[in-house]
Amino acid sequence: MDVTILYGTETGNAEMLCEDIQAALEDAGHDVLMENLSDVNPTDLDIARVYLVVCSTYGDGELPASAKPFAEAMKDAPDLNGLRFGVFGLGDREYETFNLGSKQIEEMLIGAGATLITERVTHDASGSDMAEDVALPWAETVLATVEAE
Amino acid sequence: MRNIAIIGSGPSGCFTAQGILKLRPDWQVDVYDKLPVPYGLVRYGVAADHQGTKNIVRQFERVFTRQGARFFGNVTLGQDVTLDQLRDAYDGVVLAAGLAGDRSLNFDTADGVIGAGALTRALYDHPDAPDLPDIGGDVVILGNGNVAVDILRLLAKGETEFNGSDLSPRATQWLTSRDIASLTIIGRSAAQSAKFDPVMIRELGKLEDVSIRVDDPLSGDEKGLEALRSIDGLNTGSRRITFSFGRQPKGIETQDGKITGLSVETEQGSETISCDALITAIGFCSDASVDRDALIESAEAIDDGHLAAGLYAAGWFRRGPRGTIAENRTDSLALAARIVQDIEQNLDCEKMGQDVLGLSTANMVTYQGWQRINEHETTQAMAARCRTKIHTRAEMLHQASTIKEVN
Ligand SMILES: Cc1cc2nc3c(=O)[nH]c(=O)nc-3n(C[C@H](O)[C@H](O)[C@H](O)COP(=O)(O)OP(=O)(O)OC[C@H]3O[C@@H](n4cnc5c(N)ncnc54)[C@H](O)[C@@H]3O)c2cc1C
Ligand SMILES: Cc1cc2nc3c(=O)[nH]c(=O)nc-3n(C[C@H](O)[C@H](O)[C@H](O)COP(=O)(O)O)c2cc1C
Repeated sequence: MDVTILYGTETGNAEMLCEDIQAALEDAGHDVLMENLSDVNPTDLDIARVYLVVCSTYGDGELPASAKPFAEAMKDAPDLNGLRFGVFGLGDREYETFNLGSKQIEEMLIGAGATLITERVTHDASGSDMAEDVALPWAETVLATVEAE
Repeated sequence: MRNIAIIGSGPSGCFTAQGILKLRPDWQVDVYDKLPVPYGLVRYGVAADHQGTKNIVRQFERVFTRQGARFFGNVTLGQDVTLDQLRDAYDGVVLAAGLAGDRSLNFDTADGVIGAGALTRALYDHPDAPDLPDIGGDVVILGNGNVAVDILRLLAKGETEFNGSDLSPRATQWLTSRDIASLTIIGRSAAQSAKFDPVMIRELGKLEDVSIRVDDPLSGDEKGLEALRSIDGLNTGSRRITFSFGRQPKGIETQDGKITGLSVETEQGSETISCDALITAIGFCSDASVDRDALIESAEAIDDGHLAAGLYAAGWFRRGPRGTIAENRTDSLALAARIVQDIEQNLDCEKMGQDVLGLSTANMVTYQGWQRINEHETTQAMAARCRTKIHTRAEMLHQASTIKEVN
């Protein structure tokens, strides 16, 4: 499958996680591109690919720095009908605003007509799970769901 | 292949190494630290009860385990090796040594006055930290940054509120057995210009045994004010916390060499806030282990981190004691790109690297040595703790060289 992993990050954790997801999906035979949300314009998104969006939360429930320009561009209401995507969120339950960043991204994309494949999955930095242990099964589920359609 | 030395394994040093090796995976990057253990203030500054923030070290681990950087701990620039030696051996040298000194007030000090850096290092088991001071009674924390709020929160917590942290038994005992009558946090500016993060203030709303009063009219819709309003009047228990703003410190009052009060100037005139201990959290400065001022003054382009040919500065060492881990990342990645560009343009570099330094390897701690220390600290963690740190250099060196039987 043709997959693009997009990450939104402030301190690099999401980027590192995406490198792991990319390696695992490539091993499974997929064609995988990886891009920072800061380098992506919503109108560049390609409905022939499946998008895996990995995004952290920063400040007080806000988007991380690298996702902000993308969110700004989403205000121009691009038409993303037919786009299939999954969302994985990085956050920390010590904050009351747990994972509101990944939630914002999800709502934005749905609002523009894109289709969410399986529910958003989140990681808690204060919990005991390693992010990749939660994220790899999520990525596989998203792709399996698309494949089954 | 080029050889790069980075002095300091805190966030700015590690992110610079990460950035260089992403761009040039075959370069040799050597990260030195004066401590036997890596990661700087992530280990000795970021609060013991903020373990989520410390997750950043998972990225730094990879710099050493996958990207090929080498760690050499227990090597002090200015003591075990000089800057000139490093510049002769390496194509590029990056100073990322941070700023470990506490900025002090412009007036005399006394017993009962302690800097936030010294206090947090003592609480977090830094091997070079002084003993934990004997403080109690009415405690004043001076400063309105995140470090001041960290200290306030730690002093206001009870035993079970430290579950899951890496606070040592000694520090836990010290924090929870203090006989503290009141905690007052004082800012020089008005509430709306306080520097702390609103989330740090809101977190205080979760404290289990405090009563909080904010001593300032709080109109205005700034996020910081909103956060202060949300905790004003909170009453979950006995520890009294007061926020007080717009008070410019003028001097301290003492009796028999011990602090008894802090004199401040307000818009309404002068007043004295009586106290038995004063914790100053008003910033950091160079601890003079490297002649930072001279280097910064003669820098070619300090905003880009360029000090001189083949010599660079990163992080707090370059910028001063401002900015979070995130800001260090942005800066260090930009610096890494610049270093790669500079060095590749300069065709006569190609220096020999560490071998020509003739460093004694006997007491140097490698990344593998750190892994042994790390393993020991996490497997021997006390109940309700994720880690119990080793707090002497001697024991660190011992664990670093102890090879465990695998059974
Ligand atoms: C108490 C405190 C709490 C903080 N909490 C947070 C937080 O929760 N979140 C956040 O984002 N930021 C926090 N910060 C800020 C953050 O720690 C800094 O932005 C960051 O650590 C600066 O990185 P650095 O690499 O420049 O310096 P440092 O982290 O200080 O690293 C410098 C390293 O250089 C080494 N070194 C020094 N001198 C020498 C020498 N002569 N030879 C060899 N090695 C040397 C030191 O041992 C150290 O390991 C906190 C800061 C403090 C002080
Ligand atoms: C200053 C700061 C603020 C944060 N704010 C939130 C938040 O509001 N909600 C949340 O779920 N996580 C929050 N986090 C946790 C981060 O999302 C988490 O550490 C994540 O792993 C960071 O990923 P990144 O490096 O890709 O940005 C915060 C972390 C920091 C250091």
